[in-house]
Amino acid sequence: MRARASDALIGGSGLAVAGYVINRAVLGLLIAALSGGLFWLVWIYGNGLRDPRYLDGWVLAGGMALQVCFHIVKTFSVSPKSATRWRKIHIFAGYLVIAAFISHSDFTLPDSGFEWALWTGFVLVTLSGILGTYLAWSQRAKSRVDEGISYDRIPALRAELEIAFLRAIAETDPSAAAIDLPGLPHDAWITELYSTHLGDFFQGPRNFTAHLIGSQRPLKRLTGAIDNLSRYVDQPRQAKLAYIKTLVAEKDRLDFARVSLGLTRGWLFVHVPVTYALIVLTVLHVLVVYAFSSGVW
Amino acid sequence: MASRRDQLTVLLALVTAICLGSAIFFSNGTQLLMPGPLTSGHAAIENCNACHTKSGSNKLSWLHGLVAADPLADSKACLTCHKMPATAFNPHGAAAEVLEQSTRRLTRIAAGTTAPRSAVAQSIAFPMKDVIAGGLYCATCHQEHQGASFNLHKISSEKCRSCHVVKFDSFDGDHPAFENYPFKRRTRIIYDHASHSGKYYPDLAKKDPATRTPATCSACHNSNNDRRVMAVAPFDQICASCHLGQIIGKERVSGPKGIAFLTLPGLDLETLKKKNASIGEWPDGSDAALTPFMKLIMNRNEKGRGLVKAVDGLNLLDLATASDSQIKAVTDLAWEIKGLFHALIKGKASDVLGNLSAGDGAKLNTALISDLTAGIPRDAVIGAQQEWLPNLAAEMTGGPVTLPEAPSGSNAVQAVPIPSPQEPQSAAAVETNSSDSEPPETESVGTEPAGAEKTVCADEPPRAENIAATDEVAPDSEDEPETGESGETLSAEEQLAAVKGRLPLPNGTPRAIKTRIENARKKKPHEEAEAKAEGAKVVPCTDEQPRPDAAGETEAAEANANEGTEAPSAGGQAAADTTEQFDDLLFPTGSEKAGRTEEADPASKTEGKTPADALPEANTAPPAPQVQAAPTTGIESDVDPETWAEYGGWYRQDYTLYYRPTGHKDKFVQSWLVLTWPQAPTGGTSPAAAVFDYLIGKDAQGSCTKCHSVDDIRGKGRVVNFSPASVANKHGRFTHFIHEPHMGIMDNRGCLTCHDLERNRPYLKSYEQGNAWKFTANFGAVKKELCQGCHTSGVARQDCLLCHKYHVNGVATPVMNTKIPAQ
Repeated sequence: MRARASDALIGGSGLAVAGYVINRAVLGLLIAALSGGLFWLVWIYGNGLRDPRYLDGWVLAGGMALQVCFHIVKTFSVSPKSATRWRKIHIFAGYLVIAAFISHSDFTLPDSGFEWALWTGFVLVTLSGILGTYLAWSQRAKSRVDEGISYDRIPALRAELEIAFLRAIAETDPSAAAIDLPGLPHDAWITELYSTHLGDFFQGPRNFTAHLIGSQRPLKRLTGAIDNLSRYVDQPRQAKLAYIKTLVAEKDRLDFARVSLGLTRGWLFVHVPVTYALIVLTVLHVLVVYAFSSGVW
Repeated sequence: MASRRDQLTVLLALVTAICLGSAIFFSNGTQLLMPGPLTSGHAAIENCNACHTKSGSNKLSWLHGLVAADPLADSKACLTCHKMPATAFNPHGAAAEVLEQSTRRLTRIAAGTTAPRSAVAQSIAFPMKDVIAGGLYCATCHQEHQGASFNLHKISSEKCRSCHVVKFDSFDGDHPAFENYPFKRRTRIIYDHASHSGKYYPDLAKKDPATRTPATCSACHNSNNDRRVMAVAPFDQICASCHLGQIIGKERVSGPKGIAFLTLPGLDLETLKKKNASIGEWPDGSDAALTPFMKLIMNRNEKGRGLVKAVDGLNLLDLATASDSQIKAVTDLAWEIKGLFHALIKGKASDVLGNLSAGDGAKLNTALISDLTAGIPRDAVIGAQQEWLPNLAAEMTGGPVTLPEAPSGSNAVQAVPIPSPQEPQSAAAVETNSSDSEPPETESVGTEPAGAEKTVCADEPPRAENIAATDEVAPDSEDEPETGESGETLSAEEQLAAVKGRLPLPNGTPRAIKTRIENARKKKPHEEAEAKAEGAKVVPCTDEQPRPDAAGETEAAEANANEGTEAPSAGGQAAADTTEQFDDLLFPTGSEKAGRTEEADPASKTEGKTPADALPEANTAPPAPQVQAAPTTGIESDVDPETWAEYGGWYRQDYTLYYRPTGHKDKFVQSWLVLTWPQAPTGGTSPAAAVFDYLIGKDAQGSCTKCHSVDDIRGKGRVVNFSPASVANKHGRFTHFIHEPHMGIMDNRGCLTCHDLERNRPYLKSYEQGNAWKFTANFGAVKKELCQGCHTSGVARQDCLLCHKYHVNGVATPVMNTKIPAQ
């Protein structure tokens, strides 16, 4: 796994964290400055006896067109590096488009059906975009989803983990048979742990809600049970339980990856189609605006 | 997955488009596309195309709006309900020249101010030239579809600033200091506060302590009725006690107290005679000048204009050096004047004055004509005519009445068969006249029998004997109806009846009045005898100012009349002549004719006579010449005509018919000023300008312009400010102020808190010229700092629209056209 700024934020060096914060702060300030600049420009445009809604409207339309270009570019499968650059531009421009939208709606809610449709479409696209950005960030920031994992491979990985887990459970200690005295039933305890806690866990994706909200309580509960058992078993079983614990953690990571990648794919089902629906509404909006304009452009 | 997402994308886009299409198709009109509710004032508008002119009424016709068309079309639709002048789309709805003038002034001020950075940036990034060039749309400032309670009038100060050359942040910031506010335009009424309060009122109080003089500002001013105007109390309430006398001429010490309206100008008769100028009869006693009113009246047609121009600058009393063409012009002028008098008697005064050019060629309205004539009595004109031009009717129909020997008192080239009241003809002259000259064909009322002699007093009231006699000869007239100039046939009864009941105004000197009254008194007992008189002879009447040579004859005639005998004939004056001198001038109006006919006809019917039968009777009726000719004898009175008309009205003196103003708001004076001011620029030489100058002169009767200022309107003549300041006068002003909200916060100096009376200012000098905007007020200008005491950040409003108006010429909503429902 490569070291990233997000990794640094979680557990990286102080210098890397500072660099990340500065980077984000500069971007935030730039967005704020550009948004403020846009508001000021629109204000002086309006003061110049022009309808400012035409200015911020076209800025908004231009921004939206740029965002759509990102989707078109992605469709034509550009290089990963180029795609990453485009995504950064897409996210950055997205924040500016939000500023343009706020200006265009004059900081007020719409008051007609058609405007509500436009507003809702834009808000849906914006919120889904913000969610996608957050998901991308959270995946990286929490380091819980390896970049190599894809949503489609998760079931296979989970099956591999399950097999490894079952093997580990089924494996017994051969030295126990050499001793005459009846020993403690460590393996039975581990088997019971499997049957009561871990078997179901490894059988399929679990804890969707907890992963959706980023909770690790289910994982802690399982690892807690493993740790409790470890205190009563001998050294070889302790090693076995440690291995099982690693498998549980890995399974939990896969579950998180599934939820995370599922959302990442799911928000696009809102973001992209609604974007195109919004384009249809926007085209009509532009036509109506110019058809009914009373000369003030 | 990607393909599923793409499918969903396409599907959603299609569903969106279909839903929109369906919504538009099934919705009511194009309301669905409306970006928001209209303001409550416009809420009743249901059709989009009422304002969006290109949108049409179909569901998709709004797409026509995408086609380029008149960009102002929608704004013009606003003017359907919101009436504005033609300059509606100019900034402020003001005329281009007003804007230019204002910009020039503000550019000067801008040199001393620093513009805020945002304003500079705005003017660089988004210059205003393009916005203003094509005209400002209504929607530039009034943006609709923002909700029912949205304030459409709201406009930010920054928007105002964008166009203005003077750019500042706020009123309490760099707003320029006031320039002579509020006294930019001089007051319409010339009232020197300093001299009135400092001199006249104290003097008046000293002279007559009982006289009430204004003690507070509110004695004369209030703004209750019209919040924007500090109104002045009416003339009758505050000015009349001192100024009414000046208007009616009571306090005038020299010159006539009336306005010379019609006159018989003095002519150099001797020269005219030498040059054989045929002007007919013309009194040689007149030294009056042609009045500006007459020039203007004559100016109404091409011929008159030429005459006025030709004699302009000519001394009519000395024509010795005049060229032949000038003599011709003077001759024509004399006839024009006669024609004027004739027209005024024969027709209606309104006919003569109704076609005066009011500058734009528009026909004068009846109210104005009525005011212009000031109800001039026909008898006033008749009296003047009878006194000055007794043979006018004969002359107007038959040309100049000439005598081989010139009678005394008239010009040498004329013969007047009947002496004028002031210049009575000698008996010899009358005799000569009757014997030597053919009686002109006239519009006479009736025909006197041969041998009948009558002498009438031209300025006398209609006499009963004349009426009676003519009544009797009327059938004759019907047999041979006389045709007037207009081709109108009038019966004798009709013409005579027109005379009845008319009494001329007092004219001439007191002695003349006295004589007339005496004559009238003397003739009364003889009226019946006169009616029956056959072959009545008419003796020359006595003039008010009889000449020594005529006096004896007149007295003899009076004596004879008293004895019931025929007066000595003046020499066989033809009956036709005598009627011409009097009755035939008095053509009745249409309505009068109708009335008179009814009045006259029964008389003949009751007598059972046909018109033909009446003639012999008339011929045989014994005349009562003494009575008929009896001059009026006046009641002893020292009251001259001018004094008689002390409180205004018409009077005649010498050879002039005067009008004396009746008081404040005299309609005669006002209407002539109103009529002439569009054609009376400063220094104008037109007849209209002459009338205007005559009426606004320093010593002009009525003294209108002593208090009412005269503004020189460039290219549009001059205007006398009769109307007080009003909201209407404030159209075109950018600044407005309402006194009332400020009254409660004044300190104990009251009005003087803002308006400092500065006594040494040359206030009256402002009115010595015509530019209303060159003004030095009695009061100092209001200072910005005074307003800034309250109008500052966080205290009182200080936005532009608080004190300044955008639509300077106002916006009005016209009354809708509602057809009266038919039954």
